[in-house]
Amino acid sequence: MTTQTQPVTEAPVHGATEAAPAIELKHAARWYGNVVAVNDITFSLGPGVTGLLGPNGAGKTTLLHMLAGFLGPSAGEVLVLGRSPHRDPSVYRQIGLVPEREAVYPFMTGLEYVRFNARLQGMPDADKAARDAIAMVGLTDAQDRAVGTYSKGMRQRAKVAGALVHDPQVLLLDEPFNGMDPRQRIAMMDLLGQLADRGRTILFSSHILEEVERIGTEILVIVAGRLAASGDFRAIRALMTDRPHNITIRSSDDRRLATALIADPAVFAVELQSDRLSIQTSHLSAFRRLIAGASRKADVRLLEVASSDESLESVFDYLVRR
Amino acid sequence: MTAPNQPAATSPAGSIYDLGYRHYEGVRHGRLYAMWSLYVESLRGVWGFGRPTTAKAAPFIILGIYSLLAIVQLAFSSVFAQAMARGDTVELLTYANYFATLSPFIVLFCIAQGPEVVCRDQRYSVLPLYLTRALSAVDYAVAKIAAFTTSLFVALMVPMIALFIGDVLMKADAFQAIGDEIPHFLPAIPASFLIALGLAAISLALSSFSPRRAYSAMGLVAYFLILEAVLASVFAIGVESSLEWTSRIKLLGPTSALSGANDWFFGIRPDPKTFGEVLGADAYLGAALLSVLVFTSILLLKYRRVRS
Amino acid sequence: MRGIALNSSIAVIPEIVSVTLRQLLGRRRAILLLLLATVPILLAILFRLADVHRIGAFTAGIMDAVALTMLLPLVAILFGTAAFGSEIDDGTAVYLLAKPIGRWAIVLAKLIAAVAVTLILTVASAGIAGAIALQPYGEEGAEAARGFMAAMAVGSVCYVTLFMALSLFTRRALVVAIAYWLIWEGLLSSLLAGIANLSVRQYALGVAGGFYKLSANEARVAPSTALTLAIVLVVVATVVAIWKLMRFELPGGD
Repeated sequence: MTTQTQPVTEAPVHGATEAAPAIELKHAARWYGNVVAVNDITFSLGPGVTGLLGPNGAGKTTLLHMLAGFLGPSAGEVLVLGRSPHRDPSVYRQIGLVPEREAVYPFMTGLEYVRFNARLQGMPDADKAARDAIAMVGLTDAQDRAVGTYSKGMRQRAKVAGALVHDPQVLLLDEPFNGMDPRQRIAMMDLLGQLADRGRTILFSSHILEEVERIGTEILVIVAGRLAASGDFRAIRALMTDRPHNITIRSSDDRRLATALIADPAVFAVELQSDRLSIQTSHLSAFRRLIAGASRKADVRLLEVASSDESLESVFDYLVRR
Repeated sequence: MTAPNQPAATSPAGSIYDLGYRHYEGVRHGRLYAMWSLYVESLRGVWGFGRPTTAKAAPFIILGIYSLLAIVQLAFSSVFAQAMARGDTVELLTYANYFATLSPFIVLFCIAQGPEVVCRDQRYSVLPLYLTRALSAVDYAVAKIAAFTTSLFVALMVPMIALFIGDVLMKADAFQAIGDEIPHFLPAIPASFLIALGLAAISLALSSFSPRRAYSAMGLVAYFLILEAVLASVFAIGVESSLEWTSRIKLLGPTSALSGANDWFFGIRPDPKTFGEVLGADAYLGAALLSVLVFTSILLLKYRRVRS
Repeated sequence: MRGIALNSSIAVIPEIVSVTLRQLLGRRRAILLLLLATVPILLAILFRLADVHRIGAFTAGIMDAVALTMLLPLVAILFGTAAFGSEIDDGTAVYLLAKPIGRWAIVLAKLIAAVAVTLILTVASAGIAGAIALQPYGEEGAEAARGFMAAMAVGSVCYVTLFMALSLFTRRALVVAIAYWLIWEGLLSSLLAGIANLSVRQYALGVAGGFYKLSANEARVAPSTALTLAIVLVVVATVVAIWKLMRFELPGGD
């Protein structure tokens, strides 16, 4: 924690009240040989949905595997519901885990797979629990088909159903939105929201900012194994006001469009390059509304509007350099 | 470059637009260059170069085991030379009998590394990507067989060279000995090449049937080891009884045929104890060449189908 | 392993066994294995047709050299390494591991499934082959057939347990297992007499020797010693597998 100006002692994301937080990391670190995957991370989470964001290779999976008890921390402490999950299979009664890898036993039907999970959890009425979980993720119509015939999104939902069949207190999901179309994503997010409303703690990882942006949820950002930011996504983005957004536009008439745009207060720089416009704005969403109207009024056809720095990487870049 | 959205090609029925993407205008190497690149990359893959140390362990350990006896013979060459000078008979390994004696270990090399050459490309679905580029299915197969043949040839020649050095050191006059020894050594080169080609064709053809290394390896075990054991058993039944046809059965054995062909290069007759009295080395040479032909064709046909 | 009731772990064993059986008996694997199992039977038929009048030619040339030395290890490698190995490879192992079940129950269930299929396949194959080839030899033949069925049973349990433990240590368990089989069981145990006490093939032959008089060259270990050593091997390999599974780290994505 040398480059961080704010000392991160305890970053309560939300809901972490007097009671022991559901998930707690205290200076947790994990290294493989001399590669550090997770570096001195401290945070605690209570009920609610939290996104774990970071570029590929940032250490998200390592962190989730530590929370799921598959890896012990090399230093520091990892606590789930107040105790260390490492090498203690009994915690799995309270944890549901959706792993990143897609594989599900291909020879089982969706229902069989979820029921298998319920039975291994020792549920007295495994069949009913399985049918309920399947209904929750909206797979009832496909429950008697072999999982091998499922699409990526369906398989992802079957995995989620398997992980929540025993109604765990803590649900850990590694890249759950991979392979889902936008509608399925929203449905899944709603489901996670409902579970959160019932007091469950949900942590999901993602490397796509948009997935989180649309939902506007609490996030933890890790970069190169270190915690770079935590809190509400919009609040974090708002804290980054000192950095204007860069946008490049190609249009049928760049010069005319530039004249139209510079009139707006949200735009504070326009640069006319050989075949494109480079624009700086302080307010991205205002600019999005502006550009549509301006181009129509000026009768300019837009060929390309690209935000050159909205990728998660550049946000991380910003957070790390700060 | 044409302006964006200007048709680059137009016919009455349709147009292709130039979207203004940058074109690659550098030199394009042809098929041969692509084959060469694939060959080099596959060759490195067999030996684990450019991969983590664990990937190098299997090929080098197996090569070590396969060459061990030749190296031991080299290390103790002076001891053997003294023993022979005293008139003791020493049973030495020769260029001709080395493969026949230690073939299970070179087969182990095929089992461990053969699937490595072709399975990953299928498992991770990159094979269709290769084949949409300059390479055709035939080019791909040829480059892969060439790479594995080269690897096996190197592996087979290591003990041959160790034997050569050992034999030279056993003689009093080293320079004289090199001259004497070379004619004995030379047949080992084409013989090893044929064995390498035969093993490579079989290994890759069988490996190409499953994208999983584990299953491919099992297939190779079944074909190389189980078939050989079954044939030996049938041959033994034949010796005990009055069956005639069993003395020709070794023609079907993958390593037996190559071992018999090996004898042809050295101008000796295959050991009647394991090969029977009926067939000479030329029959086994024929069988070995036929097996190269058959398995290469299987591999080519297999990749022909990938396209569709 | 605090907080896990013994009987809740026992209760899930049949569940894991049945899933493992479905995994192991995929179509391709089943066909390959049935082909392998018919090999000793076909050789036995040939033996009968060829009219060989020497019981030793069958026991040494077919039962030992083909069935016990080649087929049994191959079948055991296939099932032993796949029981865990294919789950680790595919990434489905996590569904078993992230459950409140004692790790010993998972190992035991996998063992039961893999041993059962190996044992049934190899013992049945040896039994049928023995019945065909040794029928003319009366009581002596029946003893030899029983001996080889027992050898297959002992060999199945030992090899499968050994290879399953191995599959938890390396992802290339299959190649390591084949190398062990060729180098240790094949080459060294026939060259160095001392290794006979550490060779599964010798345990199996030793047990066979309890039913039927094998030559000293074939069976180097006494039946009771062979059985004891086989049991020790199985127990140690099982304990090691459980120990390793408790410390198992899943291969992660990043």
